[in-house]
Amino acid sequence: MELNANIPSGPLAEKWDRYRFERKLVSPANKRKYDIIVVGTGLAGASASATLAELGYAVKTFCIQDSPRRAHSIAAQGGINAAKNYANDGDSIWRLFYDTIKGGDFRAREANVYRLAQVSNEIIDQAVAQGIPFARDYGGLLANRSFGGAQVSRTFYARGQTGQQLLLGAYSALMRQAAAGKVTIVPRREMLDLVLVNGRARGIVVRNLITGEVENHSAHAVVLCTGGYGNVYFLSTNAMASNVTACYRAYKRGAVFANPCYTQIHPTCIPVHGDYQSKLTLMSESLRNDGRVWVPKKPGDKRPPREIPEEERDYYLENKYPSFGNLVPRDVASRNAKEQCDMGKGVGETGRAVYLDFEDAIRRDGKDVIAQKYGNLFQMYEKITGENPYETPMMIYPAVHYTMGGLWVDYNLMSTIPGLFVLGEANFSDHGANRLGASALMQGLADGYFVLPYTIGGYLAAESFPDVPVDHPAFKEAARDVQARVERFLAVGGKRTVDDFHRELGHIMWEHCGMARTNEGLNKAKGMIQALRGEFWENVKVPGSERDFNQSLERAGRVADFLEFGELMITDALARQESCGCHLNEAYQTEENEAKRDDENFCHVACWEYAGDDKEPVFHKEPLVFENVELTQRSYK
Amino acid sequence: MNWVVNALKAAIGKKLMMAVTGLAFCGFLTVHLIGNLTLYGGRDLFNSYAEHLHSLGPLVTVFELVLLALAIVHVLVGLTLFYENWRARPVRYCMNKWAGGRTIGSATMPYTGLILLAFVILHLMNFHFVDKTGRTIFEIVAGAFAQPWYVAVYVVAVIAGAIHVSHGFWSAFQTVGASHPKYMPLIRGVGILFSLIVGIGFGAIPIYVYVAVT
Amino acid sequence: MSKTINLTLKVWRQEGPEKKGRLETYPAKEISTDMSFLEMIDVINDRLTLDGKEPIAFDHDCREGICGMCGAVVNGHAHGPEKGTTLCQLHMRHFSDGDTIVVEPWRARAFKVIKDLVVDRSAFDEIIRAGGYISANTGGAPDGNAIPIPKEVADTAMDAAACIGCGACVAACPNASAMLFVGAKVSHLGLLPQGRPEAARRVQSMVDRMDELGFGNCTNEAECEAACPKEISITNIARLNREFLKAKLFSPHS
Repeated sequence: MELNANIPSGPLAEKWDRYRFERKLVSPANKRKYDIIVVGTGLAGASASATLAELGYAVKTFCIQDSPRRAHSIAAQGGINAAKNYANDGDSIWRLFYDTIKGGDFRAREANVYRLAQVSNEIIDQAVAQGIPFARDYGGLLANRSFGGAQVSRTFYARGQTGQQLLLGAYSALMRQAAAGKVTIVPRREMLDLVLVNGRARGIVVRNLITGEVENHSAHAVVLCTGGYGNVYFLSTNAMASNVTACYRAYKRGAVFANPCYTQIHPTCIPVHGDYQSKLTLMSESLRNDGRVWVPKKPGDKRPPREIPEEERDYYLENKYPSFGNLVPRDVASRNAKEQCDMGKGVGETGRAVYLDFEDAIRRDGKDVIAQKYGNLFQMYEKITGENPYETPMMIYPAVHYTMGGLWVDYNLMSTIPGLFVLGEANFSDHGANRLGASALMQGLADGYFVLPYTIGGYLAAESFPDVPVDHPAFKEAARDVQARVERFLAVGGKRTVDDFHRELGHIMWEHCGMARTNEGLNKAKGMIQALRGEFWENVKVPGSERDFNQSLERAGRVADFLEFGELMITDALARQESCGCHLNEAYQTEENEAKRDDENFCHVACWEYAGDDKEPVFHKEPLVFENVELTQRSYK
Repeated sequence: MNWVVNALKAAIGKKLMMAVTGLAFCGFLTVHLIGNLTLYGGRDLFNSYAEHLHSLGPLVTVFELVLLALAIVHVLVGLTLFYENWRARPVRYCMNKWAGGRTIGSATMPYTGLILLAFVILHLMNFHFVDKTGRTIFEIVAGAFAQPWYVAVYVVAVIAGAIHVSHGFWSAFQTVGASHPKYMPLIRGVGILFSLIVGIGFGAIPIYVYVAVT
Repeated sequence: MSKTINLTLKVWRQEGPEKKGRLETYPAKEISTDMSFLEMIDVINDRLTLDGKEPIAFDHDCREGICGMCGAVVNGHAHGPEKGTTLCQLHMRHFSDGDTIVVEPWRARAFKVIKDLVVDRSAFDEIIRAGGYISANTGGAPDGNAIPIPKEVADTAMDAAACIGCGACVAACPNASAMLFVGAKVSHLGLLPQGRPEAARRVQSMVDRMDELGFGNCTNEAECEAACPKEISITNIARLNREFLKAKLFSPHS
């Protein structure tokens, strides 16, 4: 298979403009003749649906929740980047482009990232016009704050709820189109298969989560905006319903999956506190501005933190990275926390946590100043843990929260299946091996508002489409498969719950394909997953019936896909014999324990093509060509 | 005039009617109370107040008709709202507690309202649609409040009224949209004060008359 | 420090919208006080599943208090007795050993029960569809700083925009009224200069839709404000009333 990224020629800064001129257009009168299916209503899905409908396409939008407003983009806290340079601190499109490429450890495509930086400014304008209540200065102008991985202040925010506000903006635009009759919203549906006719994506099969009915929907193009797959780890900061199924089903139908092993692990989350725990909660990275990270020097020291004297504490980040101290990037902070806990110096009941201590900051600045900066976060922490961070240090531990990998797409955001477009976290495109803070919102909205609406027109205008009714044999076959699979889950009648399997899978993935990976561990994990998958199909217990609202059944389908997909992640991690960004293979580290890239052999996108059940997927690579930036090694000493 | 009907048909429109008529009653209560205070001045003062009032002639009738219209609107719309609100939750909670917003006043509005309606009818029969030949209004009042059970009924009704007003007063402001972080606490305070004045002012009269007469 | 407690749960079970529901009693033994309320239900559901019974259906997603998907009335309180807390953020340390906990779905004519604790809140989407937006097509927006907005205004708009659409206001309202939800959206958009051009049309259309959907009427009980996990103020309802009155009195389209 040849992977052609279809990057327009010409200088980097002119590519997008040139592309937009050269791309074929669909005439306004013809747009309404095209049906487009959008799956997912997060930032990417809602913005794409709304914009496509504004252009005149007939859009059908599906979401898994009861309302499009609840997609997990809503949980993003920090902000959204844009190269506005309102702060007059030297920002530019070029700088945002460069920071993103570098932050991704030089594993992203230049042309895509540059386009992202270009449209970033329009996103802010669009959001303001929609009524997003961004934070403002007293003069009434938009406020900015700084974020990790950048030396400029370019992050726009709405309190700690930026994702929520941007999503509600996109949702309101979507509802406006629904009112105009241009979008049909189909909630509480889960996409369970992609339907191909003559090699093109022509529809989807979904399950109605209320009635259990399997439904067919046909269209001229399908747009997947189904988010990331962090829940393969069971515990993550993702929402409970976040899953890989839609993407994985597309993969099984021939869409190539890119860089599945790239997983970002956020250093400041509330630690796991018991076997029953269902999810992890992120605490904003900004806490590391004033909090000091430490563990007791003596392994197994179980004294309460305030009884451990200063000289018996190990401020390991400050000691190891004197110039960046507690503010090292996410991946570095995460890996070091794990290392300390592996040495037995972890704190809390489980020993999988480190302290984030505000005692010095409170002594220095006073409680009021700290409360002003972090009051809401402290309150949230207390609500969850029952401990008061003003008096006792917070306990934190890293947690999975974003996946850079995703379905492979070209410059048009089209996958290897013609007519299947993939947006937002679901695609692999812009963040390379590590995503910078406040860039996820930017990418989702860029794809939905400003990229796809142009690129999809070119695809539709260039082809002719025979009618595909929903009783086409391809639909019938796919629906039959879906139905058979659903029945198979219910028929097993074993002794373990779905969550039990999911928890065990998560544990395997976290231990062996998490923050630090070894070839030995990955190989071992591969076998463990295969065994677990085998047991799943013999011993899972899914109660209830298929023609019903059945949440266990929903989860069974997702976990079954995770059990296959986890193996793909491991295959990818094993194939990448280097370290880069969030992928750290312990065999490849600099002397400073940083990720050591091998640009000679691994400066590519690793792409995997499905070859059949229980067969190794076929590897393809898309070489990454850097014409505009120089590849360097990161250091934070 | 279609827009007026549309506006008043809406949930907020109905609430507006309640607010405006309710506030008008608050005004009426104030005037009524001031008038009634003449009772404390003794028989002659009270009788002369009544005479003055009746000397206004047709104006009184107009005023009464306006009050009647307001009352009809307030009662009918109130009953409609009560019914609609009851219908909005066909299955009740097995266990229901107050979240912290409700007050005795707000929670009992329809019931205190119905008590007041019954009371107003009784009150009008006692002192308005009553044979006044050969008796001064003071004698009628004194006669009525000579009976302890009458005093009791009045006091209970006045307490219900005060409770009704304790929510109704500020609520009317909220409904017409007169809410401002600077002034809302004041409005709430005035509402409580007003309900106390109404309660004590009207409530003391039958007791005073009963004590003074017997 | 975590400890375990034993509880008795009385949970509303209802097989479908047209079926009759009833409270069923389940023992909840050895519940860690560090669990969230939903994790406690997870544990009960695992036990029910292994016992061959059907687990309790309940909506939930982000489990960090922002998606608005979860919600149930716990011991007579929407989202449970803690202030400013969604059900997913309510932790078991607020209960004591031996407690009996009654769990019911949101109850309102406009929110039909789908199953057990799951209700249909599409009425909220319907209300937003009626006008809860600013008509700004993608592409034509002026620069973000073209219109300065006083910080106080932006902050007040943000206070209203914090609504997560969970429906607790309706559930807690003695009249099952949706005025806080509508008031929050009308306030958020109406406060900002971008939202003014459509303000009169928006408020009338949203209020009309709200009425049609069978919500009750606001009687200023303020229970919504007390139950709201985002502590949205009823001043937003006053603003809604004001906007409505203004639109009806002065807008040519009413």
